[in-house]
Amino acid sequence: MTQRFRPPATALRRLFVGGAAIALVYVVLAPLSSTDAGQQLGLPFLTDRLWFRVATTVAMFVVLASAWNIIGGLTGYASFGNVAFFGLGAYTTGVLVSLRQWPFGLALLLAPVVPALFALVIGIPLLRLHGHYFAVASLGVGVAVGEVVNNLQPLGASTGLFLPIVRSNLLFFYLMLAAAALAVLVTWVILHTRFGYGLLAIRENEEAAAVIGVNTTFYKVAALMIAAALTGLAGGIFAQWNTFINQENVFPIEYNVEMILMAVLGGAGTLLGPVAGAVTLELVILRLAGGGAAAAYSQIGLGVLLAVTVIFLPRGVIDFFGGQSRLSLWALRRSLRETSV
Amino acid sequence: MSQLLQQLVLGLLLGGVYVSVALGFSLVWGILNIVNLAHGAFVIIGAYITWVLFSRLGVDPFLSLPVDALVLFALGYGLQRGLINRVIRAPLLFTFLLTFGINLVIVSLLLLIFSPDFRSVTPRYSGSGLSLGSVTIPYIGLARLGIAMLLALVLWFVLNRTRIGAGIQAVGADRDAAQLVGIDLRHVYALTFAIGAAFAGVAGGLIGLQQSITPTAGDPFTLQSFAVVILGGLGRVSATIAGGLLFGLIQVLGLNAPGLGAGYSNAIAFAVLVVVLAFRPQGLLGRLA
Amino acid sequence: MSQLAVRGVSKRFGGVAALTEVTFSVEPGEIFGIIGPNGAGKTTLLNCISGLYDTDAGEIRWEDRSITGLPAHRIARLGIGRTFQIVRPFGSMTVRENAATGALFGQPSGRLQPRQALAYADTVLDLVGLAAKRDYPVRRLTVPDRKRLEVARALAMRPRLLLLDEVMAGLNPVEIEQALDMVRQVNRQGVTMVLIEHVMRVIVGVCTRALVLNFGRPLIEGKPEAVLRDPRVIEAYLGERYARQGGPDASPTQADGEGGGGAGQ
Repeated sequence: MTQRFRPPATALRRLFVGGAAIALVYVVLAPLSSTDAGQQLGLPFLTDRLWFRVATTVAMFVVLASAWNIIGGLTGYASFGNVAFFGLGAYTTGVLVSLRQWPFGLALLLAPVVPALFALVIGIPLLRLHGHYFAVASLGVGVAVGEVVNNLQPLGASTGLFLPIVRSNLLFFYLMLAAAALAVLVTWVILHTRFGYGLLAIRENEEAAAVIGVNTTFYKVAALMIAAALTGLAGGIFAQWNTFINQENVFPIEYNVEMILMAVLGGAGTLLGPVAGAVTLELVILRLAGGGAAAAYSQIGLGVLLAVTVIFLPRGVIDFFGGQSRLSLWALRRSLRETSV
Repeated sequence: MSQLLQQLVLGLLLGGVYVSVALGFSLVWGILNIVNLAHGAFVIIGAYITWVLFSRLGVDPFLSLPVDALVLFALGYGLQRGLINRVIRAPLLFTFLLTFGINLVIVSLLLLIFSPDFRSVTPRYSGSGLSLGSVTIPYIGLARLGIAMLLALVLWFVLNRTRIGAGIQAVGADRDAAQLVGIDLRHVYALTFAIGAAFAGVAGGLIGLQQSITPTAGDPFTLQSFAVVILGGLGRVSATIAGGLLFGLIQVLGLNAPGLGAGYSNAIAFAVLVVVLAFRPQGLLGRLA
Repeated sequence: MSQLAVRGVSKRFGGVAALTEVTFSVEPGEIFGIIGPNGAGKTTLLNCISGLYDTDAGEIRWEDRSITGLPAHRIARLGIGRTFQIVRPFGSMTVRENAATGALFGQPSGRLQPRQALAYADTVLDLVGLAAKRDYPVRRLTVPDRKRLEVARALAMRPRLLLLDEVMAGLNPVEIEQALDMVRQVNRQGVTMVLIEHVMRVIVGVCTRALVLNFGRPLIEGKPEAVLRDPRVIEAYLGERYARQGGPDASPTQADGEGGGGAGQ
């Protein structure tokens, strides 16, 4: 709802939005060139396996960052436990498909449900906490759920779970893209309804929200459940796409930090900020990624990026493009002056 | 019965480790309002320093503790002065993310320098202990507990009996007022963070004697320190001691409980955390906020 | 029948008794003042009524039903609005959106959609004199304007009772006069009011009755002019020495404050 009262768009912003729209159309349509129909029409291959890998991963982080934005950006509860929802969604699909022989489509329906119920159970005690207490307690959830799963024999313990391979780059790309679109749509709906006003009121001042009639507990828990459902959906798709899940690949705390960084970098609390942050940052991260020493260097890169973002751009890049302040050295200096001693 | 007694003894000795690890964490949180996610990394740097001195130069691990403290003091001072001071007035999330970034960089650098191999510090006297009937008290554990208590005493003395400590407490109580009476905020912040880091370094030196050292071995200590501070209550040295000892007992009893095992130490820390936060948010010894 | 009845309410924080056996009642259409020195428990009392604090003892009745222990948002929807002494605007919203949020959530009857709420916000912003600044972000507002916004947000809930926590503090005489007009005007629309004030002129100017709190206990209750002349009140505010100079009755201490409040009406 903040967008409606933004000053008119600057030329820079228009250019940016236009470019993004063209890129989006390309990303949505390019994979069709790899279908049989596309080949018969004589289209050149616009996409290869790496393209799909990158595009699907980026779409996945769009879901994660947008979902985090609902609880962290709109409601003001900086959750470090969202990765637990991702892992639970992945394990829900994983267990149903690999141990119960459910079809993937059916199993995927439950991927958002289990994390949402889990969010309901932990949300009631955790969302009474504020600031550091909430952040670290939620971090504890993320770590602990992964650890418990890693120790449970029926879930494959540290060996993990293997799912039957489904070979279809297109399927997983479009599934993840649909999930990303859903996440953005849900955020849009929230921003334009009573519910969104309630969440923003809670973020700005919880007691003031309560005395004007916002049922704060209900709203906070509902926001966490929505975030959990979306995150779990992405986890469920990931499980089948990757065909192998264990604690390390579906419960990494780094994912959680990346979601936050994406939302903050792009502009927490806005509709498209997390999307922009996810696309930019994930492309950078994927470029840096690799095994062995390269992995260590990419982690160092992420750490430095965190520091730079936090120190120089606490208001997020989107804020600069949004016309509220200009992307200038002066703005950087001001943000430094406001936060340092 | 004697098995339970043995576990209680081991729990208290393990508690000594948690006291030493959590002291610095609690100081930084209480005074600077920073939950330092790089605290575990500081601990493990201390452990590596002790390991290097022991394995290359044959220095006794207990004698290397002052070196740990000095190196981490310098590192802590530099990090706070150069980086964290710049975001100290930003929303909590930002110091949180920044310290996570610092943690990531330190852990990755340690991986590059030391590889992910397990390292351990095993002096001749490790493994020996004092036998009292059926209960054995390992010497190293006892020494660790003693040093933890000494650290607590030093911290209490610094905070309550020195000029620097008075400055630190003033800054913790009211930043703006402290500045008005002429306290150099940047220096006191950096100093406080440096003391916290130095304590973490000493704790790390002690930890190398108990478990194997890897670059990522420090991570659990951050969550555990948090649990200790929550358990005891924020803001007092005595509360950290009580929280640490109690947490040690809970860990030993929990890990030996049927159905649980060594894989569950984080889950136990978290469970303790949530239970205490839900029922007694000010901690067991803490005052009302 | 009293519209709001507070009976024997006590509240402790750890070892400190913030409120002890506070009793009073407010009739429909009244403007009821609560005064007392700093730390007398005035804000704590409002927090108990609006449901931010649980009371330790006693009962709070509103329009003949007990609201003791209800969560704050339920109490709000029963028609009790409030402001905070230190204003708490929703910083990321505009002035209009702030007021609209009150209308969205606080109105007892039916659910408004954002569009209707924004329209309703305009009518209250008119009333408090913020109409011209409705699209301002909150951070551009001056202190008096922020206080007006605080009132507007509460008014947007269409409350039947408005609890005002020191809305005049920090205002200059002209601004106080404007604020008093606003209070009278809102009251004329049938809104009962309970206001905490330090500015005595406000109490005498608009209140029908006033209650004095001291150390969390009711000291005296009655007509504002009479209350302010009472030596116990002068003593509570200025200390015993001044009271002794001011009048013969210098002996009472907090112990006999209990009777004063309980006897009211």
